Amino acid sequence: MNEIVLKVENLSKNYQMGEVTVKALEDVSLDAVKGEFIVILGPSGSGKSTLLNIIGGMDTPTSGNVYFNDEHITNMSDKDLTLYRRNKIGFVFQFYNLMATLTAKENVELAAELCENAIDIDEVMESVGLGGRKDHFPSQMSGGEQQRVAIARAVAKNPQILLCDEPTGALDFETGIQILKVLKDVNEIYKNTVIVITHNASIAQMADKVIKMRSGKITDISINESPIPAERIEW
Amino acid sequence: MKKLDKRLFRMIKNTKGQFIAVLAIIITGIFVFTAVNNSAKNLNDSINDYYIETNFADIFVKGSSLPEKLEKQLPGTNDIIDAEARIVFDTKFITDDKDENVNVRVISVDKYENKINKLFMKTGKRILDEKDAILIEQFAVARNINVGDEIKIKINGRQTSFNVSGIATSSEYAYMMENEQTMLPNPENFGVIYLEEDYLRKVYSSRGNFNEILLSVNDDDNIEKIADQLEDNLDEYGVSRVIKKSDQLSNNMLSQEISGLEMMSQSIPVVFLAFAGIMLASMLSRIVKKDRTSIGVLKALGFTDGEIVVHYLKYAAIVGITGGLTGSIFGTALSGVMTSYYLVFFSIPMLTVKVYYYRILISVVLSLLFCIISGFLGVRGIVRINPAESMKPESPKKGKRLLVENIKFFWNHIPFSWKMVIRNIFREKKKFVFIGAAVAITCGMMIMTIWMIDIIDVMFNRHYSEFSKVQYNISFDSFKDESVLSEFAEAVKVDDMEGRIELPFEIENGRYSKIVNVIGLNEDTVFYGFRDMKNNKVQVPSQGILLSSNLANSLNANVGDVILLNNFVSDDEAFVTVKGIINQTLGINGYMSIDYLNEQFLDKRIINGVYINSDEDVPNKLDDMKNINVQSQNDMKLAFEEFTAVTAMSMGFMVVFSGLLGFVIVYSMTLMSINERTLEFSSLRVMGFSKKEIFNMLIRENMIMTVIGIISGIPVGLWLVKYLGDAFTTDIYTMKEPVNPKSIFISIILTIIFIILAQLMTYAKIHKLDFMQALKNRIS
Repeated sequence: MNEIVLKVENLSKNYQMGEVTVKALEDVSLDAVKGEFIVILGPSGSGKSTLLNIIGGMDTPTSGNVYFNDEHITNMSDKDLTLYRRNKIGFVFQFYNLMATLTAKENVELAAELCENAIDIDEVMESVGLGGRKDHFPSQMSGGEQQRVAIARAVAKNPQILLCDEPTGALDFETGIQILKVLKDVNEIYKNTVIVITHNASIAQMADKVIKMRSGKITDISINESPIPAERIEW
Repeated sequence: MKKLDKRLFRMIKNTKGQFIAVLAIIITGIFVFTAVNNSAKNLNDSINDYYIETNFADIFVKGSSLPEKLEKQLPGTNDIIDAEARIVFDTKFITDDKDENVNVRVISVDKYENKINKLFMKTGKRILDEKDAILIEQFAVARNINVGDEIKIKINGRQTSFNVSGIATSSEYAYMMENEQTMLPNPENFGVIYLEEDYLRKVYSSRGNFNEILLSVNDDDNIEKIADQLEDNLDEYGVSRVIKKSDQLSNNMLSQEISGLEMMSQSIPVVFLAFAGIMLASMLSRIVKKDRTSIGVLKALGFTDGEIVVHYLKYAAIVGITGGLTGSIFGTALSGVMTSYYLVFFSIPMLTVKVYYYRILISVVLSLLFCIISGFLGVRGIVRINPAESMKPESPKKGKRLLVENIKFFWNHIPFSWKMVIRNIFREKKKFVFIGAAVAITCGMMIMTIWMIDIIDVMFNRHYSEFSKVQYNISFDSFKDESVLSEFAEAVKVDDMEGRIELPFEIENGRYSKIVNVIGLNEDTVFYGFRDMKNNKVQVPSQGILLSSNLANSLNANVGDVILLNNFVSDDEAFVTVKGIINQTLGINGYMSIDYLNEQFLDKRIINGVYINSDEDVPNKLDDMKNINVQSQNDMKLAFEEFTAVTAMSMGFMVVFSGLLGFVIVYSMTLMSINERTLEFSSLRVMGFSKKEIFNMLIRENMIMTVIGIISGIPVGLWLVKYLGDAFTTDIYTMKEPVNPKSIFISIILTIIFIILAQLMTYAKIHKLDFMQALKNRIS
């Protein structure tokens, strides 16, 4: 039986902009199964980043619930949310957001130092294809390499869920494909759930589950019976 | 090493300019604090040890005929523990150079050992025979006299030779001034010689009596009370003055120096640490602002707010510990140099330079606490950073029109680049207020320093050229009839000559009282140029008294007040009207007509000294006269010139420290500005602005604040001058001189030089910046 690691129920998030209330999320519900590769697809402003931030414990909803392995994270204190991010979640950002003054390896170690069951750094670096660039600083690396470091940093903590916010958004096609391949490899090697948000519909082809969003609502959730390898994606 | 700590050290490396700048200010603050405070402590401890070792007297009683029996009668009464009588007189020291005027104070001492004011032997033997003399060390060193040498002095008008059997120091002459009027030690021309008591009683004293008694008391708190009682009880022995330990000349000078040092150690470092604190807080808050996304990432990775705050606070802690440690180590080292520097003025054989480890620890802890608190104020914004929000670019600040833009005539007529400058200043008000404040303090401290250099010069020059026009001041051992003046006129070809009286009085005005010397002068005296506080000429009144401004202040007396003068010699008292308050920069005195003074307290036509102006070598011409003491104004001027050369060095330090403050703050704040505005500058470069034009924009921003800072710095400087003037005005100095416009001008120029230097340093940074790289850089 498929083990549900993440359950989102009737999630809503409103922002107050002066006198206007903006509904960033409206009654969103979804499940994520252990080891699943999920792509959340939607145009800019559809609420996908807000959803990711709430799932990742970086933001709180206006209403609704998020459960992680039956733990109710929307009721958690700041301290518990920090521990949740530390031990259960890995983040990959569109603009990598590496620490400029740390080398590639040190960036990964920074995250690994935080948790008790971290994965061996060298192994993670190898798995993202950065074995030979460990001692380079971010400024000495290409965008693709920097994103690999960001993935290694997220994976090194051995998180149960890897949340990726437009991981290929700042990259060219070929580098983007390589990054997607790395994400899929990581997903297969470490058996963690990967959630990628993107506006690029082509990426959905490699997902096990595709969630489509528009104007803060989920418009469709579909299971992809035959996901294709990242190398075969084109856009 | 933890990766966050590694990041911290690289962050320090990347901000090394600002790091060094804030460190320099902390080091300077802690350095001054430790150096000055340790010197004060060294000096205080050493002098206290010296006083205990030599049993320094608590009370000095001066009289004309004090019998030996008092030595036995006084102990046991009035809480007095011990008493020791002695003979003290000033006389001429005979040198090979006939043109030289050297005075010595002869003091009788016990053949074996004194009970009070014991001598601290440096070389030779303490036991004295009849023809032996012990010389005070400062005088022996200055005149290159050694044990075994023969010296000649005049006793009772006769030249008498002594064998130098020992060289010693005395706690009574740690600061060896001849009297209140001489102001500075001049060991080549004034010294102290100790001779055997029985011998002096035979050859000098009248009926074997003494003219001074030293007393030790049980409780220091009772000194004042005992001194008052002694004045009454010893009346019959012709007591002329009872001096408390706190008023004793050398001790008074030392105490003033120590309290001056303590005041300095508490005020200057506070200014430096306050600026360092503001700078550190501002620097860290800007680093945090710049690291907003990184902080968001750290939070997303699972670091707690506390861990991230501590990470940035470590920056402040490193500044605090490094600054505290470096400042206190250098300060401790300098305190050694500073304490030794005091040996130029103070002779303290037990002067010990100690390393106070606990003070280093206190400095480090203080500096650390200070930096942590300042740092916390800077980094507390970390808690407010939302990790989700931090990933997005910060929304631009709300733009709004400035008030000045409503002045259409002005706003529409200034070029665009100036509009940007003005808007930038208002956009970062706190930063510019800080720069302005730093420039103001720099300018203020410059004004204070330049004023101090000026005032020392003004004090001495005015006193010895405008106020006192006395070339030679001759004092007699006793009162003489005015007819004695003819003897002087015969011996010397005088330009001007006047007899004078100088006597100690206790002056009372209600509950205020003060013991000072009152000088009796001719009403039309040519030896003094008295001026009131408004610089109007003042004549010696035929009746009444003139008071120096510091005396008027201590007595809380004004013109027209009637004050009570109590004479120790005749024990007469009289009420006298204050006829004027005069501006006197050195010393504290009252001045009366000699006839009025005689009429009120003494006999007619008597004097105890004479003023002479002459082109001749007066000391040499008066060589044969008995029981006189000649003081030359020229010698005092030479001593002063030596003194100013030594003080010039410390003033130079003050100028550098003041300038450093302005330099460092302007440099580091501009550097911060450049780092934060690289994107803005890059856009300007793309639009076609040259590096020079961008630099000019920064210069204009800083120059506006420099001008505002300098304008506000002038009142700051004037306030500092008033504060310092009040703090340093004592019985000996009156530092009430207004600031000269030229001093303000020099201070402004010096401030501008330091600010320009800071600006030039930042130009190198602008030149090196890769603006194009900044535009495409997305690494946090």
